[in-house]
Amino acid sequence: MVSLAQVNWTKLLDIRTGMHIVALVVMGLPLLLGLSAAVGKATKKRLSAQAAMLLRKGIFYIGTLIIVLTILHQLEFKMGALLGAAGIVGIAVGFASQTSVSNIISGLFLISERPFEVGDLIRVGDTTGTVMSIDLMSVKLKTFDNQFVRLPNETLIKTQVNNLTHFPIRRLDVHVGVAYKEDVAKVKRILAEIGSENPFCLDEPEPIILLQNFGDSALEFLFAVWSTKADYLQLKKTIRQEIKERFDAERVEIPFPHRTLYTGLATEPFPIRIVSSGTTLPAVNGRPSKSRKTGN
Amino acid sequence: MDIWTKQTIQAERAYKSQLGPLKLWLKKTSDELHMATDRGSEGCVSPCHGFTQTSDPSPESLDWGRWVIDRDDSYVQLVPTMPDRGVVVRTESPVKIPPSREAVFFVSIPTWIKICAGGSKLSDLWEVPSVIRSNTWFGDTLSGELCYSLVSRARRQVEDADHPLHKAVCPVKICNESGHMLNVDRFCVHVEHLSVYGGVRLLWTNKVTIRFQGEDQISKLDYARQKPDLESQVKLLSPPRIPFKETLLKRSLGSFARLTDF
Repeated sequence: MVSLAQVNWTKLLDIRTGMHIVALVVMGLPLLLGLSAAVGKATKKRLSAQAAMLLRKGIFYIGTLIIVLTILHQLEFKMGALLGAAGIVGIAVGFASQTSVSNIISGLFLISERPFEVGDLIRVGDTTGTVMSIDLMSVKLKTFDNQFVRLPNETLIKTQVNNLTHFPIRRLDVHVGVAYKEDVAKVKRILAEIGSENPFCLDEPEPIILLQNFGDSALEFLFAVWSTKADYLQLKKTIRQEIKERFDAERVEIPFPHRTLYTGLATEPFPIRIVSSGTTLPAVNGRPSKSRKTGN
Repeated sequence: MDIWTKQTIQAERAYKSQLGPLKLWLKKTSDELHMATDRGSEGCVSPCHGFTQTSDPSPESLDWGRWVIDRDDSYVQLVPTMPDRGVVVRTESPVKIPPSREAVFFVSIPTWIKICAGGSKLSDLWEVPSVIRSNTWFGDTLSGELCYSLVSRARRQVEDADHPLHKAVCPVKICNESGHMLNVDRFCVHVEHLSVYGGVRLLWTNKVTIRFQGEDQISKLDYARQKPDLESQVKLLSPPRIPFKETLLKRSLGSFARLTDF
């Protein structure tokens, strides 16, 4: 087995070796950090944010490994024994950490397939957030309410991922119901005007205004408008309010289900009719019934 | 057109300028310039004028901005510039150009107004569109670019048009070099590559030439580098925002071909 006993610790007492090791640690690590930052900065414009981040991390991890191996070499550590042991340990660890390995392999697929990049807005199940980083084991998201969410790569490979900002423009579908008495042409005209007047709505692709369905209590319209992905939230915030305001101004009725509740003494009692004793009431379940006293 | 020349302003006085529907308010304190905008309807017919001293009370309800200047700075200048992205021009009614024919259309493009201030040397302080145009998408939904939308009568004679001072006239020549009838109902002008020139009575841009070579061919687009020749005396007022480059040309052509199905 490989153990720390195989390291020649007495070498540390050798001033020259000790100086080498200290120099490697004290100068090597800051240099490595500086190099990875400089490469990240230089490639910022040429590469995507995700690729630049991977390059930065790759330089740092490979550089750190080289420094560690150099230090071990200085301490006369037998590398052959380490590599042999690494193979045996690798098999054992592989069996013991299947989930982690699965995440790593899934991470490689995610990096090569690139369904999303750092900075994209994605939805996975009930979670929607901006991608902060794509690492070998997991993807980190920041949600709109500023929560940090870690999603294992395996989950992302198995489930549906919606990338909301992959394309430069998005469509917002607004379902609008109006009363059956309303003029369809008038409703279409008003919706078209709302689309053309909203500053976040694109003129082209043109808004889609469609009488989609004859609902239970309303004519159901689809009003689909386009915006850039940057303006999508603003469009979503404004368009429904504008529809309500314009419909109110133009006296277009938006029907909604009515429900009346009677709660105790604050309201009038149900109307009841008192009938004289012995009167036969209409049949209930096929049998005539006697009069009943009712009241609140 | 003295509207675009350098003007002197005095401290603790209010000034107002009208450029189409845009009203610009300006006040100078000891070492600050306060500016605000106010907008009327697009069809506003008030005559355009540069900063003139006004006794009208400056409306406090406006969203005023403050710029730090030197105490000695006493000059302001309005400079018309082209919008910061391309403009998709939709003709009010489609125009058909037979094969081997060409047509020049005069499009009035609402300028952006740059406000510069300073002493002997002026610096750019603010830029506002004289008319706020709606956004439109140029190209397909997978790629393409964001542009401003402009509905134009695309007049054939410059004299036909009533060109207010806040709009620059852009001559667009479309040549049909294909063997088919060309139906022109929209075209894109990358105005960020155009300069603005002041003539005796109008603002001008460089000439744009579009050569249609067939439905399966990419149309050629050219932005003239020389001054417009439709008025004898023209003076450069603002250079293009983005100098014209070959790579940009290629991209424009691709998008143009997709949009117009040329």
